[in-house]
Amino acid sequence: MNNPLLSITGVAKRFGEVEALTHVDLTINSGQVIGLVGGNGAGKTTLLRLIAGVMEPTVGTILFEGKQVSTMRSKLGVVPESTGLYSRLTAWENIRYHSRMYGIPDDIAWNRVSHFAKRLELTESLSRHTKGFSRGMRQKTALLRALAHGPDILLLDEPTAGLDVTSARTVRSLVGQLRDEGGTVIYSTHHLAEAQQVCDRIIIVHNGTIRADGSPEELLELTGQENLEEAYVSLTSDKSRTRAEDTAKDGKMAKWWRRFLTGSTPSGKYSSQLTSMEVDDDE
Amino acid sequence: MMSNSWRFITTIAKKEVIEFIRDWRTLLALVVIPLLIFPALFIALPLLLQSEAAELDALDLEIVWQGEVNDELQLAFNQSDLIITYEELPNGIENLSDIGDDIDRLREQEQKAIFRLAENDTGWKFSVLYISTSEASSEARSRIIAAVASWESDVVNGTLVDAGLEPEIALNPVTWDGDVSAADAATKGEQAGLVLSLFIPMVIAIWTASSAIQPSIDMTAGERERGTLEALLCLPCTRLQLLAGKWLAVATITSTGVALQIGGLLFAISYLASSSVIGVPSISTSSALLLLGAVIIFAIMVVAFELALAMKAHSVKEAGSLLGPAVLFIIFPALFTQVLNLDSIEGWWFAIPLVNILLAMRELLLDRVIAEHVIIWMSTSIFYAGMAAWFAARQFKREDLVASIS
Repeated sequence: MNNPLLSITGVAKRFGEVEALTHVDLTINSGQVIGLVGGNGAGKTTLLRLIAGVMEPTVGTILFEGKQVSTMRSKLGVVPESTGLYSRLTAWENIRYHSRMYGIPDDIAWNRVSHFAKRLELTESLSRHTKGFSRGMRQKTALLRALAHGPDILLLDEPTAGLDVTSARTVRSLVGQLRDEGGTVIYSTHHLAEAQQVCDRIIIVHNGTIRADGSPEELLELTGQENLEEAYVSLTSDKSRTRAEDTAKDGKMAKWWRRFLTGSTPSGKYSSQLTSMEVDDDE
Repeated sequence: MMSNSWRFITTIAKKEVIEFIRDWRTLLALVVIPLLIFPALFIALPLLLQSEAAELDALDLEIVWQGEVNDELQLAFNQSDLIITYEELPNGIENLSDIGDDIDRLREQEQKAIFRLAENDTGWKFSVLYISTSEASSEARSRIIAAVASWESDVVNGTLVDAGLEPEIALNPVTWDGDVSAADAATKGEQAGLVLSLFIPMVIAIWTASSAIQPSIDMTAGERERGTLEALLCLPCTRLQLLAGKWLAVATITSTGVALQIGGLLFAISYLASSSVIGVPSISTSSALLLLGAVIIFAIMVVAFELALAMKAHSVKEAGSLLGPAVLFIIFPALFTQVLNLDSIEGWWFAIPLVNILLAMRELLLDRVIAEHVIIWMSTSIFYAGMAAWFAARQFKREDLVASIS
C-alpha cells in the first residue's frame, strides 16, 4: 500500500490555556481537493498553518510523504488569507522572489507562471506593481506565486473571500483544473456551496475538532439530512467560540483590562467560548 | 547546504533592499541627506555666514552721537561707514547707559545705535545704546566699539610716548617667541585625527542607530501589519535564515548611509584642508582595519537589537514607540564618551556596552593601537553583538508572529 501524501496523527494545538485544535487525525492522498469547512474561529487556519509548517503542533505528528512537514516545505504551495504581496514589487517580482527561494530558475518559473496566468487572465498585469491591484488580482497573483515552484500540495486559506463573482469563479475553475491534472489541494472556506462545488472531500471543523470527514454524499448519509447545509448545522449545533489565537495572545494586562471592562472573565476549557455575536469576522 | 543558506539570505536581502529603495522618500533619507549633511554643515553654512557678514559689513548704518564731540574719534567713526546725527545728551538720565526716552526710536529701529560721550575729571565716559535682537543694531554697536577701542589705543599710546615709554614694550612685556603651531609635536594629520575623533564615533553611532530604525520596522512589524509575513514564513527557509537576510538588508542600507555620510565628511574635510583649516588625518593600516572592524561589530549589534525590538512589536506604531526612545541609549553614551580622557583611561571602560566601541573608534582615529584595549573591546563587543543576535533570533522564532496577524 502506498504511503499517504499527508498524514496527521493525534494533533492538538494549544495557545496558552486555549485548545485551538484537539485530536485531529487525517490522512490525505494525492489527487484530491479537500475542503476544510467551518465557521469563524473553528480552527481551519490553525490547521492549515500546522500543515504548512509555520507552527508546530503541541502534540501529535504531521508527516508529509512520511517525513516531518517542517523539512518538506519546498513541496508545499501556500496562499494565506492575507495573500502577502509586496506592494512596491510587480506581480512577477513577487512571484520570482518566492520561486527563487525555492531554488527555481527564473525561466522555468516564468514558463510555469505564464501557463497559469493565461488561465487566470492575469498575463497583462504581471509587470504591474501590485499596489493598485484589486482583491481578486491579489488573490490570483498569490495563487500564481504558490504554483510557480510546482508544489505537490496546494494550501488555500479562504481563496475566494472578498472576491467578486467572476474572480471567485476563475479561482474555483483553476482549482478544478488542478484536480483534473492530478494535483492535491486543501481548500479552506466557510461557504458550503463552494466546498460542494469544488471539493471531492469535505472536512467539517468546529471548535477545534473534526466533526465529519467524507464526500458530500457520505456527509448526507452520516447525518441523514437532505442537503449539506442541514447536515452542517446538525454537526455543529453547539455554540461557536471566538478565535483561539486571539484569546490566547492576550497578555495579563489585556485579561485584566477585559475583566475591568466587563466585570468577568470566561473560564473553563473553552474559555473563549463566547456567544456567536462576539465571533471575529476576519477568519 | 551552505550554498542554500547563502542563497536564502541573499535572496531575502536583495528583495528587501529593492523594495525599500523604491520609495523616493527612502532614497532621500538614505542617499541625499547623509551625503550632504557634512558638506552643508562645514562648507555651505560657513559660506552663508560669510556672505551674510559681508552683506552686513557693506551697510551704511545710521547712528546718533549724543554729547561731546572728539575730533580724533570722529575720524575713526567716519572710517566705519557710520552715518552720524549729532544731538545733545538728554536731560534726566542717571548715567550714560540709562536709555530713557530713546528706547522707542531704538526699538523701532529709527536709529541703529546711540553713542553717548562725556568728559569729566577722570577722563572720557561713553556708552552705546542698541537693541541686541537686531543684527544691524549689533553691527552698529560693534563698529562704534571698534572705533572707540582704536581711539583709546591711540590715546594710551600717546600717553605712554609722552611719558617716555615704548608702547609695545610697556603693554606686552611677556610675548610668545616664534610660531605657536610650530611648538606642537603632533603632526597635522594627528591633529586632524584628534578633531575627527571627537565627532566621527558619535556620527557613526547616532547615524547607524537612527538610520536602521526605519528599515528594521518596515521589514518586521511592517511585514506583520501588511500581512506579508505569513507567506514569508511558509517558505522553505529557517527563521534564522530569514533573520540573517533581513539583518543583511538593514545592515546594507544603514552602512550605505553611514558610508555616504563619512564620504560627505571627508569631502568637507578635504575642502577645509585646501584652505588650511584642518589637515587630513593620518592613521596606520592596522588602525584603519580595526576601525572598520569596530564599525562592523557595532552595526551587527545595533541592527540585530533594533530588528529584535521591532519584531517584538505588534504594529508599526508600537515598533516606532519602542525604537524611538531606544536611540537615546546610543546618543547618551556617545556624548558621554567624548569627554573621557583617553590618556589615563582604565581598561574596564572598554568593556562597557556601546561605550567600548565608541572609545575604540576614538583611540583608533588617534592612531593608538593599545593591545590590552583592543582585546577587551573586541571580545566584549563580539559578546554583546552575539547577545543581540541571540535576542533577535528568539524574537524571530516566536510562534505568535503569525498567530497575531490573522
